[in-house]
Amino acid sequence: MNVVETSGLGKRYRKTWALRDCTLAVPAGHVVALVGPNGAGKTTLLHCAVGLSTATTGSVTVLGDLTAGSLDALERVAFVAQDAPSHRHLSVGAMVGVAANLNHRFDVEQAKARLAALEIPLHRKVGKLSGGQQAQLALALALARHPDLLVLDEPVARLDPLARHDFMALVVSAVAEEGASVLFSSHVVSELERVADYLILLAHGRVQMAGAIDDLLAGHALWSGPVDEAGAVSERLSVVQSQQAGRYAQLLVRTGTKAQAPSGWESVDVSLEELVLAYLRQPSVTTLPGPLNLMALSSTEVTA
Amino acid sequence: MTTLIAAPAPPRPAEHAVPWRPMARVTWLQRRGLLIGLSSLLVAAGLAIVVEHLVTHASRASLLANGGVDTNAFQALVIALNVLPVVIGVFVGAPLLSRELESGTFRFTWTQEIGRTRFVLTTVALLGVFTAAAACALGLILGWYAHPFEVIGVESQWQPGLFDVTAVTLGAWTLFALALGTFLGAVIGRTVTAMAATAVGVGGFVVVSFVFLVHRLLAVSPLVTSGVSPSGMGLGMLNVPGAVGTRPFGGWLVRSWLTGRGGGELSAPVANHALNRIEYGAKGSQDLTRLLALHHLTFWVSYQPADRLWIFQALEGALLIVLAAGLVLGTLCVVRRRA
Repeated sequence: MNVVETSGLGKRYRKTWALRDCTLAVPAGHVVALVGPNGAGKTTLLHCAVGLSTATTGSVTVLGDLTAGSLDALERVAFVAQDAPSHRHLSVGAMVGVAANLNHRFDVEQAKARLAALEIPLHRKVGKLSGGQQAQLALALALARHPDLLVLDEPVARLDPLARHDFMALVVSAVAEEGASVLFSSHVVSELERVADYLILLAHGRVQMAGAIDDLLAGHALWSGPVDEAGAVSERLSVVQSQQAGRYAQLLVRTGTKAQAPSGWESVDVSLEELVLAYLRQPSVTTLPGPLNLMALSSTEVTA
Repeated sequence: MTTLIAAPAPPRPAEHAVPWRPMARVTWLQRRGLLIGLSSLLVAAGLAIVVEHLVTHASRASLLANGGVDTNAFQALVIALNVLPVVIGVFVGAPLLSRELESGTFRFTWTQEIGRTRFVLTTVALLGVFTAAAACALGLILGWYAHPFEVIGVESQWQPGLFDVTAVTLGAWTLFALALGTFLGAVIGRTVTAMAATAVGVGGFVVVSFVFLVHRLLAVSPLVTSGVSPSGMGLGMLNVPGAVGTRPFGGWLVRSWLTGRGGGELSAPVANHALNRIEYGAKGSQDLTRLLALHHLTFWVSYQPADRLWIFQALEGALLIVLAAGLVLGTLCVVRRRA
């Protein structure tokens, strides 16, 4: 089952396309990171998935074949919006009450236990909480709905490193407890590998790369070798990024599962951060339809 | 990814059932301050009417005995109740969705299991029932307060102003104002702007109703009679209560005119001139109607009889409720498209 599936999804705001021709399938049971530069369409994609936005073109379904935003989908999908908007004039306890009455599966005891563990008092006004606490409150309210899919939009963007760590730790532990799938957007690429196991890279409103992180890393390598042989490598394989230092070149190569570095070249594993940054610097480079099919791609699809 | 067993979910409520009780609790939690403030205001207004009526009852009775009556407090109250729909529209309707949109909290409420359509609809319905019930109660109290004035013919529930604040029409006006405020809030998405637009919108409708609509409405299909004395009634557009001593009592006199020998209607200047001449020449207690007959003139009035009051009240109320329903539907369309 795919927790999110889009087909030719496009969203236009007046004359501007925020998302175009986005086709992807996010399998269940993953923590999926949706990565891309500002304005890439991450929030739009997530809003379409939770029914806050309606698609201009194409379609989006969640948890199999449920129409995004339908009552059936809303029952099983929880969403924490960017900046975790809450009713600032309400107390934390009142917010728990509001959420409990808006969701029949809401687990009040679990929410209160999580908030107690986070030392967030129920009587305090939401507006008096720190940014980190507000994010934790929003997450606790979402998790108490026992969602099958948890969608988080830039959940840690405004948090300090400690709060960021605590927040993502709560996500990971909760997912382990509940067995939910998670789709979260982020532009903090340094911490993705620790949390996510599936990656979707968006650029200019289109999917640039999507796949299990292990597969993506296994399908790429950093090759270092003589600069005069770099051309031969790029003719044979897709080169995402090349850097030159004197007589040596360093190429980020899409190796697939089989390609070996030529003799005289050194191959090292690429980190997720390096991989993501390389693709972000080359928004026209795409791995689609997936890293396992790289060898089928023609070299003309790649700009190095 | 590690997959563990999720906790079993409680049974789901009936398909598409509207969760009134939970939404009533949510509305209370989200708008506790507003509801308490509004309730206090309405209770205070009701108490003020009751106290004023009871305290001044004796003095009013003596004034009536002496042929004079002070209606200043009553008039002020009628004006205040005419403003009530504006207050409801501005402070309850306009912020209802605009505040959610402005603060971004719609991204929380609209993604909960209840869904945005049911959330908006139930919230508007609950607040509508609360405010309309309170407004009806105030209208009833005002009707009780107005009764002595009506008996002596100095006030009438047919009058524009008072016509709009009976138990029927005040409730309907409140629903209309709430719906208009909610609609403008959904369209504008900015709280202060939506409140200002609602004040102008609802206030404008109230003024138009006072100046124009009620007169037009009450001129629909009146009865006509010539069995009324022209004494003290003037000519042309009367639009006055049927005062004591003037039949039809308790009705609403819409228009009066004179017809001549051939049955044709005299123009207003000619008729006034003739009437003044006859009145000037009348001696003592001479019956004016008989004098007119001697001059081959007949005095006519068109009027709405007293028993039609609640029909017209229901007509205006229904019109406002239909408008309110249309605005709620419009709001739902805006909310559904808002993305």
